[in-house]
Amino acid sequence: MHINPGMRRGFLLTVSLCACLLHSVSAQATLNVFACEPEWAALAKTIGGDRLTVYSATTAMQDPHHIQARPGLIAKARRADLLVCSGAELEVGWLPLLLRKSGNADVRPGQPGNFAAADYVKKYGVPEKLDRRLGDVHAEGNPHIHTSPENILMVAAALHQRITELDPDNTGYYRANYAVFEKNWRQSMQQWQQQAASLRGANIVTHHTYWTYLNEWAGMNVLATLEPVPGVSPSSSHLARLKKQLSQQDIKMIIHVAYVSDRPSQWLAEQTGAPVIALPATVDFQGGQTLSQWFDDVMQRLVGDL
Amino acid sequence: MTDGGSMFDGLDISILAPALLAGVIVLTTHIPLGREVLRRGIIFIDLAIAQIAGLGVIVAFQFGWDMHGVEAQVAAVTSALLGAWLLHGIEKKAGVHLEALIGISFVLAATASLLLLANNPHGGEHLKELLVGQILWVDWSQILYAAMISLIVVITWFKYRNKIGNIGFYILFAVSITSSVQLIGVYLVFTSLIVPALAASRYSEKPALMLAFIVGVCGYSSGLMVSAFFDLPSGAVIVWCLAISALLVPVLLSKLFVASAKER
Repeated sequence: MHINPGMRRGFLLTVSLCACLLHSVSAQATLNVFACEPEWAALAKTIGGDRLTVYSATTAMQDPHHIQARPGLIAKARRADLLVCSGAELEVGWLPLLLRKSGNADVRPGQPGNFAAADYVKKYGVPEKLDRRLGDVHAEGNPHIHTSPENILMVAAALHQRITELDPDNTGYYRANYAVFEKNWRQSMQQWQQQAASLRGANIVTHHTYWTYLNEWAGMNVLATLEPVPGVSPSSSHLARLKKQLSQQDIKMIIHVAYVSDRPSQWLAEQTGAPVIALPATVDFQGGQTLSQWFDDVMQRLVGDL
Repeated sequence: MTDGGSMFDGLDISILAPALLAGVIVLTTHIPLGREVLRRGIIFIDLAIAQIAGLGVIVAFQFGWDMHGVEAQVAAVTSALLGAWLLHGIEKKAGVHLEALIGISFVLAATASLLLLANNPHGGEHLKELLVGQILWVDWSQILYAAMISLIVVITWFKYRNKIGNIGFYILFAVSITSSVQLIGVYLVFTSLIVPALAASRYSEKPALMLAFIVGVCGYSSGLMVSAFFDLPSGAVIVWCLAISALLVPVLLSKLFVASAKER
């Protein structure tokens, strides 16, 4: 084959262009983060900015206990450098399967690429002895830890450290982002605490034990849950008991997560006259919401109806 | 869903191939069995058998057995066989009310599980694991196990169909449903059983089996691609693609056939 000089020049140009592109790609190589829940996706994004590519396996309108297998999910898990999940068995129904299927050794439990947020906070509801009859109790305690702003702060510190370990080249960048986040979050917490002052001691009923950490943080008094044991739909005898138990009480509100049906809550509202409040379960990460915007929303809904 | 990355992420042969293989394995038994089910008019028998298999596992669980591993499989297959025996008895006696009685067995088995598991969400999760396999989660050991069972069922069916009698059909059916439901879930099992067989029901044995198999493979492969492309749950998408290919494939094939006949 005859190659004229023009062709050769073109070829060389193409090769060098490709090399340039490859180089710039590798210079901007980002850490792939696979978050099980949107709150951790949002937190990782806040700390990691454009140095992280963040994917959230679930949305705020999904129950993270159960998800359906999608091909993209496995592909994302396979490519992940860091897995950020709640842990405490919240994802026990699907994450072990997904990890086995993805074959990604870097993000297996115990590896630096596996970050379980619940490991970094004090957990409530750790059963003294495990009895399956007590329902959907997690042996490691209540996994919905993101509902307390103090927990977010503790997890943020640990996550910042973990991201830095995995990508030490960008240490300064991560530190700066983290410092900004921490400062802003502490400021917001003061405001939320002021709002929460009016909630202190308020009697409430919740659907599931989803808001345990928020309730503890705000000092609210949970009289009962609509589920007889976590994860089990209310039975008629349980509802009858509730009605009797609560008839003498002054209930400020009935809280449920936006992704569950509000019918049990509405039923109790009719019996007791207390208002029903649907709280967004977590950040709308896919919609571009930040953690503090979400928590602002939660507090406004709680305070607005008191 | 994400920043960065592309929508083609899921379009990865190493993710989709095991799922497609699982589908093909299920089709090899479910197409011939599905034709028989259509012939006998016992459409919902697979749902009933799957539910009875699940009930057996829950009963075993109540007796304190571990729900995983060999014990659960033994409990599932045993109760599926008992269910098959029961339904076989019903078929002989029921006459025109056969389908109604199958439906009733399904509902009774399903609600018996609910009652046994009242107040036990962990048990519920296990039941779900057993009843609703998810096709993307399959691993090679499951595929191997299912392939062996499929092979035995297919050979027995095609070689000894006339000798094993009525009860033989029920036994084969119970065994293959119990295995396939754990692999790909109830919705896909029902669809794989009924839809391809129905699409080819007008034809005689051999062309019908061929056509049904083409419909099935088209449905599974297009379903997996669509679910990868749009990041949707694979099982549900495949069900729809199987239905669509049952409508399209026979038409396309007959057009192709007519065209090539004209050319000759």
